[in-house]
Amino acid sequence: MTSVAVPSVLDTSLFLQDLKLKKKESVLHELVCAAQGVRVVRDADLLHDTLVRRERWCSSAIGKGVAVPHARSLGVLIPRTIVGRSLRGVDWGAADGLAVQLVLLVLSPSESSPDVHLDLVARAIAITRLQRNRQRLLDADGAAALADVLREAGA
Amino acid sequence: MSGAEALLELQELDLQLSEARAPAAVARLRKLGFVPAEPAALERARQRLLAAADRRWIQHYERALHRYGRGVVGVRERVCLGCFVTLPTSAAPGAGESLTLCESCGRILYWR
Repeated sequence: MTSVAVPSVLDTSLFLQDLKLKKKESVLHELVCAAQGVRVVRDADLLHDTLVRRERWCSSAIGKGVAVPHARSLGVLIPRTIVGRSLRGVDWGAADGLAVQLVLLVLSPSESSPDVHLDLVARAIAITRLQRNRQRLLDADGAAALADVLREAGA
Repeated sequence: MSGAEALLELQELDLQLSEARAPAAVARLRKLGFVPAEPAALERARQRLLAAADRRWIQHYERALHRYGRGVVGVRERVCLGCFVTLPTSAAPGAGESLTLCESCGRILYWR
């Protein structure tokens, strides 16, 4: 796993360029651990359990190879978006049957308002709406390329 | 799962439940492309966590949840993230513990 801090306009994102694991619970764990490594997360186990429970209630796969798991959680210290890419794809149970290759994990502390959190989620989804942006994220060869995509998408 | 862990899970679940019960939030999730289920399974999970959570804290938790919408809040640099009062040094939890009560607002403080 390679993780790189991205100095984007968000100035917040992490980019995991090659997610190694195949199950969505494991991928969520990988992303949460990366976030904990940069002090975004105070309690990785609590956050992971929250994300997994949330998946059961409302799958984060939105189709076209994209998943946007998200949570407002006591386990999160600061708002942050973490981008993960799986070259071979992860079975996320998407309605369109496609394996997920792009995962945008949106995290907010529990004290954030629900509307502000959903604004962050909407922004993450907006980045992936265009096929051109999805392809650029899949082709991005590092943090700088990711930052370019985010900047141009208005993130 | 310890009683304290169950209480933290309960707080997380209640945040999720507040979203699942709010028609506006559910409508927004659907508009974003998600397909949220009915909250019944979350309600059942809440009953299980309520039974497993530390009895000492439940009354404080329910009172703060009802009053403020959150029963447990984090602490950052000795500030309660519920009422933003700076906490006295004596408010820190004992060894091996992670929860105390905010004497200003009554929320449960999570110190990790």
